[in-house]
Amino acid sequence: MTNLNAVDPAAVAEEAHLQGADVVIGKSTIIFRRFMRNRTAVAGLIIFLALTAFSFVGGYFTQWDKETIDAFNIGMPPSGEHFLGTSQAGIDLYAMTVEGTRISILIGLIVGLVSVLVAAVYGCTMAYFGGKVDKVMLFVLEALIMMPALLVVAVATSGGGDGLKRDLPSWLLLIIVLLVFSWMGTARLIRSLSMSLMQRDYVKAAQYMGVPPRRIVWRHLVPNIGSLLVLDITRGVTGAILAEVAFSFIGIGIKVPDVSLGVLIGGATSQVQTFPWMFWVPLTVMFLLTGSLAMMNDGLRDAFDPSSSSIGRARTNSASKNNARTNSAKKKRA
Amino acid sequence: MLRYLAKRGITYVFMIFLTTSAGYFLAVTSLKPALLEQERIPRPTPEQVANSMRLKGLDPTLSPWERYVDWLTGIVTRWDWGRSPNGAYINAEFGDRVWISTRLFLAAIILTLVIGVGLGVYSAARQYQYQDRVITSYSYLAYIVPAPIAYFLVQLGAININETFGGRILFVTGISTPGVEPGWPQFVDMLAHYAVPTVAITLVGWGSYQIAQRQYLLDNVNADFVRTARAKGLTRNQAISRHALRVSFIPVAQSIAFTIPAIFAGGFFAEKIFAWPGIGSWSIDAISLQDVNAATATLAYGSVIFALGAILADFATTLVDPRVRVQ
Repeated sequence: MTNLNAVDPAAVAEEAHLQGADVVIGKSTIIFRRFMRNRTAVAGLIIFLALTAFSFVGGYFTQWDKETIDAFNIGMPPSGEHFLGTSQAGIDLYAMTVEGTRISILIGLIVGLVSVLVAAVYGCTMAYFGGKVDKVMLFVLEALIMMPALLVVAVATSGGGDGLKRDLPSWLLLIIVLLVFSWMGTARLIRSLSMSLMQRDYVKAAQYMGVPPRRIVWRHLVPNIGSLLVLDITRGVTGAILAEVAFSFIGIGIKVPDVSLGVLIGGATSQVQTFPWMFWVPLTVMFLLTGSLAMMNDGLRDAFDPSSSSIGRARTNSASKNNARTNSAKKKRA
Repeated sequence: MLRYLAKRGITYVFMIFLTTSAGYFLAVTSLKPALLEQERIPRPTPEQVANSMRLKGLDPTLSPWERYVDWLTGIVTRWDWGRSPNGAYINAEFGDRVWISTRLFLAAIILTLVIGVGLGVYSAARQYQYQDRVITSYSYLAYIVPAPIAYFLVQLGAININETFGGRILFVTGISTPGVEPGWPQFVDMLAHYAVPTVAITLVGWGSYQIAQRQYLLDNVNADFVRTARAKGLTRNQAISRHALRVSFIPVAQSIAFTIPAIFAGGFFAEKIFAWPGIGSWSIDAISLQDVNAATATLAYGSVIFALGAILADFATTLVDPRVRVQ
């Protein structure tokens, strides 16, 4: 009688061989390759990175900054001195666009990342404990969804405020308020996905073995909903940028002297006929920003989708040779 | 069915009460109408301000809790939502504005839903053909434009149309022209005012429904029950329309609950940009005028809209989902 638990040296050798021969591809490699195969997604990534770089180093290419007033060039169209023209107050539009892009990206990234994190923790906790805890937490969640975020943003950022509003810059205040109101939808989704995961045998086994809840959530729930989390980060970043632009557009949210794309677009609407560049330049930047994120979103969805039908090109050189070799090895053993 | 809806209704009433109370405390602690009053010319003395505020039930010397109790007793006993710092009664103001908002959004919401779901089905049936690609790309485009900017662009377009035709065909702001005689001219005038905002809201809105409906339908087209239906002799289109369509509408119906308040939130922007004096623009004005009671009333209205959307979604789900049988 053979010992079933004995390790078969041939199998071990083959495992090692397979791994060494790059036939078994790591999950992250697959995701990375699938993402790189999607031309649109890669273009989106490049545009996004270029915009981020522009927002950090773009300021060095001009002598103007967002505060200096050029009294000789007020409301001028684009020229050699002012790349994108000046505002009615004589402030360089290029400098303001650089600054505004940076603030908008910052708001998007912080809100997108943190709100998904909060949603993951909240949703997993609900699903893990279930019962009364779930009911109470779901109630809180739905109550928050019911609050019109815009009104709370307006109240929180409106004038005549006390300590907090005076001390915090308006973009930070907007980040806080957006965070409070941006995680509920994702949390609901994560809750329903995690609930079905909780029924899986390996989670039950872990529970019976006395693995602490925090570790079950971290080891079993989070990796399984990982693809969803990644998707929701890009969606959350887009959503936060759009919310910032929308709020600042009608004059709540970010307040002057802070600049963002929304402030620039909103401030230019009344003179769109006379100073068209002041409206279209920041609007184009915003389209590039949200558009590049949407392009990436599609590629990421495909890359993380376990049932993706995205097929790669067959690797002709070493891989196929290795494949042939392992096949022949299998035949020999059989 | 009725009992189930009633039960949900009670939960939502409790929830509305909580969010409205939280909103009241937020507003009462951060909005200070007395400060605004002191900016008047001639400048009133602090006693005068306090006195006039007290007469309107907005006494700033009381603690937030005392004001909350006063405000709540007013609502519970007399259905009186209080007064604005300028003396107007919230109930009367609210009554005028709620119809303006409803008139603006009802048509837009229905159009959004019908067009979105319809195009979703249409594009799913022609997956990866050029019709599908055009429609779906449009939906992604609508997704990356913030609502107010899209409204503004539609407005610019309407202004251009007016300029090309050299007359005022479409009204880009306002709800009606004063002094138009009733009957047919008034009706035409109303349509001319309706057209631009409704088109704008619908154009922005239907993208998300189209993407969702297309996705869910595609998920179901190859499901076992559809294959079974085809095996029984139905054509592909019959199988899809009789079996897959119904199931794929369930998650879309669920999402209505969350998009109706979203459209309402978009309403702030639409009303602000097209200058319709509805609830949305009122709430923004209320906050800039430091009007505690009006801000709370609009917040309560937002919560009610959400609850109605959620109940409507439940109702739609019970209608289309054969698995849900509620006693």
